[in-house]
Amino acid sequence: MATINGYQGNTPVTAPAGTASKQPVSAAKTVDTQSVLKRLQSELMALMMSGDPGISAFPEEENIFCWKGTITGSKDTVFEGTEYKLSLSFPNDYPFKPPKVKFETGCFHPNVDVYGNICLDILQDKWSSAYDVRTILISIQSLLGEPNISSPLNTQAAQLWSNQEEYRKMVEKLYKPPPSA
Amino acid sequence: MVSDSIINSSVPSALNSKDFGKKKRANRSAKLKQCKLDARREQWLSQGAGKTKGCEENKDNVRREFPKHSRKTSNEREPSFLEMRGRVEGIGESIHHHESDMELSPANSPTSILLGSTESGTNFSGSSSSSSSSGGCCSGCITEEEEDGDDGCLDDWEAIADALAADDLNQNQNQKQCTELPPQHGEPITQFDPMRDLSNLKPEHPRMVQRTAANTGAWRPDDVFRPQTLPNLSKLPSFPATDRKFSKRGVPWACNNAVNAPSSCPICCEDLDFTDTKFFPCLCGFRLCLFCHKRIIEDDGRCPGCRKPYEHEPLEVETSVHGGSLTFRLSRSCSMNTRS
Repeated sequence: MATINGYQGNTPVTAPAGTASKQPVSAAKTVDTQSVLKRLQSELMALMMSGDPGISAFPEEENIFCWKGTITGSKDTVFEGTEYKLSLSFPNDYPFKPPKVKFETGCFHPNVDVYGNICLDILQDKWSSAYDVRTILISIQSLLGEPNISSPLNTQAAQLWSNQEEYRKMVEKLYKPPPSA
Repeated sequence: MVSDSIINSSVPSALNSKDFGKKKRANRSAKLKQCKLDARREQWLSQGAGKTKGCEENKDNVRREFPKHSRKTSNEREPSFLEMRGRVEGIGESIHHHESDMELSPANSPTSILLGSTESGTNFSGSSSSSSSSGGCCSGCITEEEEDGDDGCLDDWEAIADALAADDLNQNQNQKQCTELPPQHGEPITQFDPMRDLSNLKPEHPRMVQRTAANTGAWRPDDVFRPQTLPNLSKLPSFPATDRKFSKRGVPWACNNAVNAPSSCPICCEDLDFTDTKFFPCLCGFRLCLFCHKRIIEDDGRCPGCRKPYEHEPLEVETSVHGGSLTFRLSRSCSMNTRS
C-alpha cells in the first residue's frame, strides 16, 4: 500500500486520509467500525505528532485494526538499550474494550510470559476508553522497569528481579533484537 | 490536539487508581499528574492574566483597604496601574471631554467619589459569584451598565458593552439566586482603586476619572490593551458558567476543560455538536459526546476519565448555564437512560 509506505516516510498528514479511503479488510463493515476507524486514525495521528521517546506504533499493512508497536527499555533500567516489538489487535468495539497487546520479541520480565502475553491491569479490568495506544505503550514501557513482582507470569524473572546485575545479564543473554523491518 | 491534552490530564489519574501494588508507579503518575495540572493551570492563568491581573491586584488592595498603601507596598504592581491609568486617562479625555467640561465644578467632586463607592458596592455583589479568574469581566461590564444610568454618553462600543453587560447581568442574577456570596468580595472594589488614586491625584477631574476607570472595566476582559477585540466578547457568556463551576467545586482543571473545551469527543473522535459542548457528565471534568456516554452507561457505566461510576445525572453545571436549557438537557439524558 503506497499510502502507508508514504506514511513511514514521515508524512503523517496525508496518511489518515489514505487509510480512511481504504476499507478495513477483516472488520465487519458497520457504522460502528467506521467510528473505530476514525478513532484509530486519530490515535495514529496523535501518536506520530507526540514524538514520545522510545515508543512508536503503526498499523500493519492493509489492516488498521492490527498495529505493530515498538518500545525501548528506559534508561537506568535493566532493559536499557533493548528494543521490543509488540502487536496490538483492536476489537470492533474499541475503545470501549481494550486491545489485545502481546510482545512479539521475547521479553524476560516478571509480568510477561513466554508467549509474550502481558499481565497489565489497564489492558484488562482497569481499561478505560480514555486510554489509547500511546498511553498503553507508555504504560508497558514503564512496566518494564517497574514490574509487579507479586503476581508474576514469569516466576523465574520475578525471583531474579531482586538481583539486578544478574537480571541484566539474563536480559542480555535472552535478548534477540527484532529484525529491523 | 485539545482532546489529546485532555486525555493526558485524565489518564494519569486513572493510572493512579491502580490497585496493583505498584506504589512507586502510582506515586510517579500522581506527580506527573500534578505537574501537568499545575502547568495547565499556569498556562490558563497566564492566558487570563490580562483579565485577572486586576482582580488579583485588587484582592491585595482590599486587604490593605487604602489604595495608597497598596501602591507603596506592592511596587511591582505599580507599573500596570500606571499604564492602565495612562490609557484610561487618554480615552477618557477623548471620549468624555465635553462631559468633564460641563461638570467640572468642584462641588461635583464629592458626589462623584460617593458614586464611585456605591458603584463598587454593587459591583461587588454582582460579580462576587463569579469569583476567581474572570471576575474582572463581569464586574467591569456591570459597572459599565450602571454607569450609563447616570450619564447618557454612548459610543458604539459602549452599546456593545451594554448588551453584553445585560447578558452578564442576567447570568449574575441567576447565579445570585443559587449561590451565597462567596468570600471573594474584594475584586470589584479593587478594580476601582486605581480610579480612586486618580481622583486623589486630580481632585479637579473626579467625574472624568471615575468614568474612565469604569470604561476600562468594560473591555478589560480581553484586553490587554484593545477595544478592537470587542467582537470576541461574545464568547464571554461561557465564562461565568465556568467560573461558577470553579468556585463551587474547586476543581481547577475541570474549569480548564471547560475553557479549552475539546472540539471532538476523546472517545470516538467525532466533533462535538452544540449539545455535546454543554454536556458535563462527570465531576472529574472528563467530557465526551452523548453517544459515547450512552454507550458507556449501557456498558460498565464508569467515567473514562476517573473510572467512577456515572451515578448522577449531569447536573448543576448545566443548571448554571441557562434556566431554559436545563430542563431540555436533563430530559434528554433521562430519555437516553430509559432507552438503555
